[in-house]
Amino acid sequence: MFAEAAELIRSQNEVLSRLDSQCGDGDHGTTMMRAMETLEAATGSSASARNLSETLREGGWNVMGVDGGASSALLGSFISGMGDTELGDAADCATMARSLKTGLQSVLKRTKAKPGDKTMMDALIPAVEAFEAAAADGAAIGKAMNQAAAAAEAGAASTKNLVARHGRAKYLGEKTLGCADAGATSMALLFRGFGVALAKTEEN
Amino acid sequence: MQMKKFINDPKNLVKELLEGYVLAYPDKVKLSGPGTVVRAAPKAAGNVRLVTIGGSGHEPGLSGFVGKGMLDTSVAGEIFAAPGAPKCVVALRDACKGGSSALLIVLNHAGDVLSADIAMEAVEREKLPVKMVLTEEDISGPVGDRRGLVGCVAVYKVAGAAAELGASLDECAAIAQRMADNMRTLAVAVRTATHPATGNPIFELGDDEMEIGMGQHGEAGTGRMKLKSADETAEIMLEKLLDDLGAKEGDELLVLLNGAGATTLMELFLVFRRVAQLLEAKKIKLVRQAIGEFITTQEQSGFQMMIARMDPEMIRLWDEPADASFFVKH
Repeated sequence: MFAEAAELIRSQNEVLSRLDSQCGDGDHGTTMMRAMETLEAATGSSASARNLSETLREGGWNVMGVDGGASSALLGSFISGMGDTELGDAADCATMARSLKTGLQSVLKRTKAKPGDKTMMDALIPAVEAFEAAAADGAAIGKAMNQAAAAAEAGAASTKNLVARHGRAKYLGEKTLGCADAGATSMALLFRGFGVALAKTEEN
Repeated sequence: MQMKKFINDPKNLVKELLEGYVLAYPDKVKLSGPGTVVRAAPKAAGNVRLVTIGGSGHEPGLSGFVGKGMLDTSVAGEIFAAPGAPKCVVALRDACKGGSSALLIVLNHAGDVLSADIAMEAVEREKLPVKMVLTEEDISGPVGDRRGLVGCVAVYKVAGAAAELGASLDECAAIAQRMADNMRTLAVAVRTATHPATGNPIFELGDDEMEIGMGQHGEAGTGRMKLKSADETAEIMLEKLLDDLGAKEGDELLVLLNGAGATTLMELFLVFRRVAQLLEAKKIKLVRQAIGEFITTQEQSGFQMMIARMDPEMIRLWDEPADASFFVKH
């Protein structure tokens, strides 16, 4: 599922950088490209780790290693936190819900950003909540992930009307109105990539 | 505005700048891994090692302060972006080899603090003797939410001198914290710089304006006003700094002026002249000073003014010899 997310983020990297140049230093697209490249290498078929949880922990640590400031540190914390749930060889819907939750918890431990601060949290929190709700309703894993992606996209779109209150963009204040947060947008792309991948496995 | 910089592939900027730097000062520094600069001749085992982390594009900061009497290791991130925790962990482990301990000095910026916190948890699990000191002296923000600016150089200087003299990890951390607690910095900018990897200007400022409180990466400050003279700017900034520090008659101050990259030494000397005059009038003693480029932001015009209240021990440590590529004291 990381290959699909990487593909999606690669195709949108210039959009991400453009968003970031309105409220930041304009390097979010290239940071995310490096992070996804690293994640693909860590989770691909030639990965050295033995099981899914270990792969995620190792992949998350490697994402932190791309030196992309807060973005890669938090994305890496999320991925590695997902690996804190024992996933075995493949995840079912309930296990994936737990895994996303431990991922979110590991990010919450690191950042003081709250919902509404115009950060990646505005996409991540609703996505995890939507997945949990879908899983509780007995949805198939691909459908649940696509619902999570839809929630993340709505969350990312909502940041357009927010003033940044966290991270470097907060110093721009009112000037951040009108553009979506780059970190929330890339988080939505990540979930959509997961959704596309998991829905595909269900069809097979 | 078209970016005009002598660069190659932007992807290789940091790698190439660090390679060039260690080639330029082979007797002082070397690379111990990608993005990690260490002393060419390591400090004797057992003594405390000073490690710092931070984004690139601020040369000579921070790696320019690796050298005898100052830092042992500098972990560099991408342009304006913190290095990741994995590299910091490796640097701290290496610093602790041979029975040494390490003091991690971190400037308060979101990404740097994230990586430092993650790295500290990792080395604490390994039971390595590491302590961390955060610098947060930019008075343009409220207490508890202040950025780390050029004051880190003074922290490197006094804690580095203490470490060289054989002080313990606790003693080094205490002197670093004392400097951090007693320093205040304020920045002013008059012209933006371009991000060397993206070519975008990092902030916008009118031709006849200046902005007080500008961050290290051009983050907007709070005091935008019409451009003032050197004397007026010095007065405005020094007043705010003295007030925040609560400086009074008889206090002994270190003053540091840091050019942002495109502001001339001529301008810095004009500003410093006025600072010295104002302090004398207030009967506050200017005991030590340093003027130059320590931490820059590309071709940004502006400067940072840092003041610190000194005590006899801090002055003594400030006066100890240092031999870093960009900070030498005999």
